[in-house]
Amino acid sequence: MLEGASIAVAPGAFVSLVGPSGSGKSSLLRAVIGLQQPLAGTVDPEIAPPEIGMLFQDDALLPWRSARDNVALGLTLNGVRRDRALKQADLWLERLGLAGFGHRFPRHLSGGQRKRVALAQVLAREPKLLLMDEPFASLDAIVRARIIQDVAQLVQRERISALLVTHDLEEAISLSDCVYLLSQGPRARITREYQVPLPRPRDPVQARVHPAFAPLYERLWADLSREVDRVQQPEAA
Amino acid sequence: MVLNPRNAWIRQLVAFAIVLVLWELAGRAGMLNPLYAPSPARIGAALYELFADGRIWPHLEATFSAALAGLVLGIAAGILLGVLAALIPAVAELLEPVMTLLNAIPRVILAPLFVIWLGIGLSSKVALAFILVAVLIFFTVFSGIRQVDRRLVERITTLGGGRWALVRHVYLPSVAAWVLGNLKVAVGFAFTGACVGEFVAASRGLGYLLSFAQSTYNSALIFALIFLIMAVVLIIFAAAGRLERYLLRWN
Repeated sequence: MLEGASIAVAPGAFVSLVGPSGSGKSSLLRAVIGLQQPLAGTVDPEIAPPEIGMLFQDDALLPWRSARDNVALGLTLNGVRRDRALKQADLWLERLGLAGFGHRFPRHLSGGQRKRVALAQVLAREPKLLLMDEPFASLDAIVRARIIQDVAQLVQRERISALLVTHDLEEAISLSDCVYLLSQGPRARITREYQVPLPRPRDPVQARVHPAFAPLYERLWADLSREVDRVQQPEAA
Repeated sequence: MVLNPRNAWIRQLVAFAIVLVLWELAGRAGMLNPLYAPSPARIGAALYELFADGRIWPHLEATFSAALAGLVLGIAAGILLGVLAALIPAVAELLEPVMTLLNAIPRVILAPLFVIWLGIGLSSKVALAFILVAVLIFFTVFSGIRQVDRRLVERITTLGGGRWALVRHVYLPSVAAWVLGNLKVAVGFAFTGACVGEFVAASRGLGYLLSFAQSTYNSALIFALIFLIMAVVLIIFAAAGRLERYLLRWN
């Protein structure tokens, strides 16, 4: 459960939320897109849900629809005509390196490919804000690095604001302009905010060898460890 | 020895042929009483006769019509009631105990009742096939809808889909998949209903012929009819299997 979170994502900015499990990171994203109600307070995005895209941890594509139909569905649900939607779908699948895979059903795609289809599905709707709930956690290291590169590139190019929830500090730093650290739940809150001093545009893989990367990583790691350790000890009376 | 699973059907066919040959030989050696176990040749002859004088056709047609009508109506009613029960708690409250009871009993015991209600014509057989299929499909759909993948529902919701989009893109395909997955069982049930109904009281149909053969101690005819029904159901299974594979090709 998260309390009193105030997070502002500037247009075109990439913001990450890191924190111990159970601090309510996912709930926050779900509240922003309207999947659940905040217990108190309001979510006040200046943009409405149709302009928000959400990438989930799993890649729950419709198993009975081909990749391009899955991507096109995101558009037809919002009133785009089917032939136009399919054209857009092909375009986005191509941008994500899946040209020629459009006719395949999700079952016949690899985990990384399915993730890319899910990404195409969300990006084809041209969202202004992209929410990501640990979207890369289930992928193996190389596939993951490649997708993260693509996400960084597309988000920068399309000037999409992004809010990423992750356990992975490297991922958070290499992608973000700003990282928020949440405290241990229950009654979690935002304890710290870190500006990432890495230049933009940036390649998230290259970013890891930037001299400013390691010091920030160490600080974040120390602070996060302290939060996680707090759960071991009973609350002081 | 390594068995190639692709050639399983050849081995199965050979084994079946060997059984038939041994059966025939045992019959000719006088080891089997033809009154109980007529030889394959005599069963074949009885089967041939049924078709040769053409008297099998009205019976086949009767059983087919009853099974098919019961199957279609049973699937439709099962889906309708299953969806209603899954969506409206009050309906579930009333329907579930009834369906659970109908599911627990051997539903063919309703056959005599249907004969009294609907007569010895086609409708009592349709009713029996219907009740067998409808209960099966009801539970398939009812429990299926409750287990619809929540992640798919959330996905469609975040993509801007409303209630209708959820029904069309998530619930209907899910229901169709479960019903198709149970299609073979439903076909078997439909034929069970039709044949048992005819067996109880009828003037036509394969079940009626069976009952006739039983009352005249014509075991060759009984075996011939059993094999005929097997063949018919296998053909329908193959067709249902193809339909299932095509419609569920994403799976």
